[in-house]
Amino acid sequence: MTQDEMEKLMSMGLEEKIEHSKKVIKEAIEKYGPENMAVAWTGGKDSTTMVWLFREACKELGVQMPMCMFIDEGYVFDEIWDIFNQLKNDWNLDARIAKNTDVSDKAAKVGDMVKVSSLNERNKKEIEVLEFEDEEFPFEPESFVGNHLMKTVAMNVFLEDNKVQALATAIRWDEQEARIEEDYFSTRKIPPHMRVQPILHFKERDIWDFIFKYKVPFCVLYKEGYRSLGAKGSTVKMSDIPAWEQDLENTYERAGRGQGKEEIMSKLRDLGYM
Amino acid sequence: MFKFLKKKYHQQNRNHKVVVLGIDGVPYSLLNRFIDQGIMPNLASLAGKGTLTDMTATIPEISSTSWSTFMTGVNPGRHGIYGFMELQDGSYKWRFPNSSDLKSSTLWDIAGKNGKQSIVINVPSTYPARELNGILTAGFVALDLKKATYPESAYEYLKGIGYRMDVDTRKAQESASALAEDIGQTFEIRKKAILHFLDNKDWDLFVGVVTETDRLHHYLWAALNDTDHAQHTFFIDFYKKIDGFIGELYSRTGDDIPFIIVSDHGFTTIKKEIYLNVWLKEQGYLSFRKDKPESLEDMNPESRVFVLDPARFYIHLEGKYPHGSVTMSDYNTLRNKLKNELLSLTFDGEKVIKSVYFKEELYNGDMFDRAPDLVVLSYDGFDMKGAINKTELSGNSFLTGGHTRDNAVFFMNRDINSKDVNIVDVGPTILSLLGIHGSFDGKCLI
Repeated sequence: MTQDEMEKLMSMGLEEKIEHSKKVIKEAIEKYGPENMAVAWTGGKDSTTMVWLFREACKELGVQMPMCMFIDEGYVFDEIWDIFNQLKNDWNLDARIAKNTDVSDKAAKVGDMVKVSSLNERNKKEIEVLEFEDEEFPFEPESFVGNHLMKTVAMNVFLEDNKVQALATAIRWDEQEARIEEDYFSTRKIPPHMRVQPILHFKERDIWDFIFKYKVPFCVLYKEGYRSLGAKGSTVKMSDIPAWEQDLENTYERAGRGQGKEEIMSKLRDLGYM
Repeated sequence: MFKFLKKKYHQQNRNHKVVVLGIDGVPYSLLNRFIDQGIMPNLASLAGKGTLTDMTATIPEISSTSWSTFMTGVNPGRHGIYGFMELQDGSYKWRFPNSSDLKSSTLWDIAGKNGKQSIVINVPSTYPARELNGILTAGFVALDLKKATYPESAYEYLKGIGYRMDVDTRKAQESASALAEDIGQTFEIRKKAILHFLDNKDWDLFVGVVTETDRLHHYLWAALNDTDHAQHTFFIDFYKKIDGFIGELYSRTGDDIPFIIVSDHGFTTIKKEIYLNVWLKEQGYLSFRKDKPESLEDMNPESRVFVLDPARFYIHLEGKYPHGSVTMSDYNTLRNKLKNELLSLTFDGEKVIKSVYFKEELYNGDMFDRAPDLVVLSYDGFDMKGAINKTELSGNSFLTGGHTRDNAVFFMNRDINSKDVNIVDVGPTILSLLGIHGSFDGKCLI
């Protein structure tokens, strides 16, 4: 897609944006069938918006709602579980949890060390692919190995087990720079499936406008000042005012996410620290 | 508005502006020497217009702590930044304080509340960028330019010119000349950004920091006095460029606007790095479960003391740490014992440690509880390190220059009222020049 086309899509009005997203969703459903699709739902504002749009599109098409995939990486905020349970019931969602229990069972709490030798063959193989050679790794969101096993592997296994042909995710172009390359449909190789990204053209402000206009429930953490929700322990709030009242256009949505520990340590080492 | 009123308004306005150039890790004595040698003619002429003096930095004498004190005008006991790393609460895991850990208002927060605009370029420890009335792009340790910059339009500009947040110090592994080249390029792009914002945006307070000097010193300090060193000419020429930049800035701002130059610590030749955790191990205060510990998580519970970079001693107190083993009743006895032993530490017959401070001698404020229990200052040439994976008490590394607490620099194109300048004084002085007064730990120098 060209920069001009993207900018045009991003500058549409809210209703036009909603219609455009529904069009993408309907196209995917017609192509893959709702039973072969999954909607990635984190309990955050963007994916909840996408779930709402899917329900509307399914209603209009007269088909069942696809399953929702919720990745439990082992460090989920309690407040996220609250909204998960509330909407699962209220919206009657087939919400399934993707969790790498082979790893999480080996750690009583975040930070515990997990021995590679204690894991199943699949996880061992994944670690090998990462070229990680230590005997153990910490069970925490910012650890390279932990993150890979609890998020990526959990998702891949879920997609394989449920024979998912198309997975919808709620990424947005304005979220971070790397997303600019993304399109509404893009293929993935591991495992082979189609990625459907129906709300790429929503801006952070649109999400809040949408949530308030359609009275969509959202996680209370946003009210406390969190802008973007990741794993508990690696997400902080950059302000105490509600997310939607912050200067969304001029501050960085994901500033409170992930400290980049490894990178900081490497920079400090270069200057003789650590 | 009438022309004469406009002129008056303009003058008043100029009187309430301040420009600050930060030069990370630049010693006063080095600038004096370069003035004498004719290497820094612009600075020489500026020195005649006001005060060029030595200054003391914070303890510990590192960028994160010193710049945090600069930008708040208060001691670490209030702003809470004691170093580049801390332990997470209730754990022995590393944690890296960032801008959201700073507990006191910055100069630009305060200026903003008084309706003034600030432009803040490359001040260390301001990452991720927080909202302000003005523009900010953060310095070390900044990881992502977008997160480092406020507002978005400034990010777009910086991205567009290929701005670099820091020297790529990995180049040092390639060769000294590759690093030197990177230092030169990073400085050029930093200069470009600073001059762009100075010329094209409105501001009352302008703060631009050059960190390339600190990187040059850490890696290439040995080149300063060794005329045979392959990077000797680069070192000297780099200071000529710094001088050229000072001249360029001053020609834009002029005598009417207060112009301040400040560094955050001095520099000196490293004779030996001293690994304080090895010393603690040798004295029986500290032990690890592994031969090659990776973090303090590998520390044995019965350990009584540990050090975080560069020379912050923490007593492993019961109740404060998950496996703390020292009771409060033993706290002072232990501190006194450590102090005496540290003061008598020698290397090749030379005393290593100049002073040992208890935390109450250095810090006060809401963040006092998080302060290190003791901090030491070494004699010049001994570089204190908190590394935990060393096995020998001393050694040398790829770094040839180390920090000093004394001999940092302060310049202002005005007379000042004190001979005893500490970096904590700079903030209150800047705000006072902007017509803002408040309660700080530092004194106003005018």
